[in-house]
Amino acid sequence: MQYNCFNWSNDPNRRRINTLGTETKQQKHLFHILQKTILFGTQAMERWKSHVRAELFQRDCQQKEPFSGLIKSYSRLLEKCELHECFWDEKQGSRFVESPETLQLQLLLKEGEQVREKLAQRVTDLMSSLYLKEAELQYCHSQVSRYHKEALSLARSAGALQSSLLDCEFALESQSKELAALQAEQGARGAELTAARREVEHLLERWMEEKREEAERVNEHNSTQERWHRFTSQLAKHCRRGGQQQRGEPEQLTWTPPDTPATCEETTEPL
Amino acid sequence: MADDKDVLRDVWFGRIPTCFTLNQDEITEREAEPFYLLLPRVSYLTLVTDKVKKHFHKVIRQEDLEEMWFEYEGTPLKWHYPIGVLFDLHASNTALPWSIIVHFKNFPEQDLLHCPSNSVIEAHFMSSIKEADALKHKGQVVNEMQRKDHKQLWMGLQNDKFDQFWAMNRKLMEYPTEEGGFRYIPFRIYQTMSDRPFIQKLFRPLSPDGHAHTLGDLLKEMFPAAIPQDDEQKYQVIIHGIEPMLETPVQWLSEHLSHPDNFLHICVIPATND
Repeated sequence: MQYNCFNWSNDPNRRRINTLGTETKQQKHLFHILQKTILFGTQAMERWKSHVRAELFQRDCQQKEPFSGLIKSYSRLLEKCELHECFWDEKQGSRFVESPETLQLQLLLKEGEQVREKLAQRVTDLMSSLYLKEAELQYCHSQVSRYHKEALSLARSAGALQSSLLDCEFALESQSKELAALQAEQGARGAELTAARREVEHLLERWMEEKREEAERVNEHNSTQERWHRFTSQLAKHCRRGGQQQRGEPEQLTWTPPDTPATCEETTEPL
Repeated sequence: MADDKDVLRDVWFGRIPTCFTLNQDEITEREAEPFYLLLPRVSYLTLVTDKVKKHFHKVIRQEDLEEMWFEYEGTPLKWHYPIGVLFDLHASNTALPWSIIVHFKNFPEQDLLHCPSNSVIEAHFMSSIKEADALKHKGQVVNEMQRKDHKQLWMGLQNDKFDQFWAMNRKLMEYPTEEGGFRYIPFRIYQTMSDRPFIQKLFRPLSPDGHAHTLGDLLKEMFPAAIPQDDEQKYQVIIHGIEPMLETPVQWLSEHLSHPDNFLHICVIPATND
């Protein structure tokens, strides 16, 4: 069975529970309320704590309350009997004979004195209890002040933490913005890089094409030059041979075409 | 917090209706009537039975009067255990009122301590408080108290004054907030099934990782058999006549369900079918 919190000690019904040793309708009703409160949740108090409180209540219902009134009445009667016994013992030892009315009055007086003593004791107890309550109140005040100071210091630290949290949030926000801007810039630069790479590839292709065409041109020029050299050397030989034949002696070659690539053999020869 | 104070009140004002009957072997001048009393659970038998003694002294011859002692179903009752512990341990599942036999002779020297006066009870009570504080605060709180403060604790118990007692006892229940509890929990586990009087070891209120230890944790370490297994409850774990839930933190139990001697007295008895 689970129980929930229920402030029994402040409940006047608790003090009125019967003392006959049986569970009355009222007790059953109270217990029913107690059980009902459990069903409506245990947010207000931990389950184990409400369980302890309910069990203590149930324990007192079973063990204390049924007998408390009986035993108190029994004690009072015992005290009264004792008083009467003392009184009659005193009177039996007395030499004077008193009328029953006087004896009755004296007995009442004795009882009254006993009640007065008890009340005086009660007043003393209440006074000391009052002093204790005052001391407790002072203690509670000191506790309140202590907790107030603790709460203030905690509030201060909470404020400092709050402001530092705000600073951090602001820094985070600005850094996020900066990051977003940098990411956008990085995107643009990336696109430019891709375009540049494409252009480089295109230029390389063009350059390779140019180089190929140039090589062809050079090869063609070289072959033309070779042919030209061959012809000029053949012409020169032919001319030299023709001149020797006319003069009857060999003749030196004196002319070189201007566009002919220079060779070692040719440059060392005199013009 | 106000609710917790109610728990302290309920613990303090717990009562057991008791019927004292004179042992039949005692020689009396006339028939001895039984004597009924509401015994405070937190007090000691010899501290609250002056009236019982007075009642039976009337019928016993003066020459037969020796030290009074009590017995329940053949077991001599140790006056130095709190009354509630004696009841929970020996008679928790019996009909009320609790029937105790009063003896005035054949004192069982092997089982009981002598209690010639209330000063012996006071000495025992104060030594228990000091032992408990040694466990909770290295004895610092009780040592800082003055003699009158010690007297206030004792007088509070002797005269059954809740406010007087707790005005001083609350100092013994304080601890630094940052520590989260006492150094060690002063507890004693009683069992009827063993010759060992009780189990008492060092036990911290918090685990090394800062979690609150519960009654279940305590029992698991000290008396594993007391934990129900497979929904079978072999033992009842009783404190002040109730069975707290096993998830109850021991620190809270120590603060609220300790006896005035500042020890948490836990009774483990075999479970009954009903």
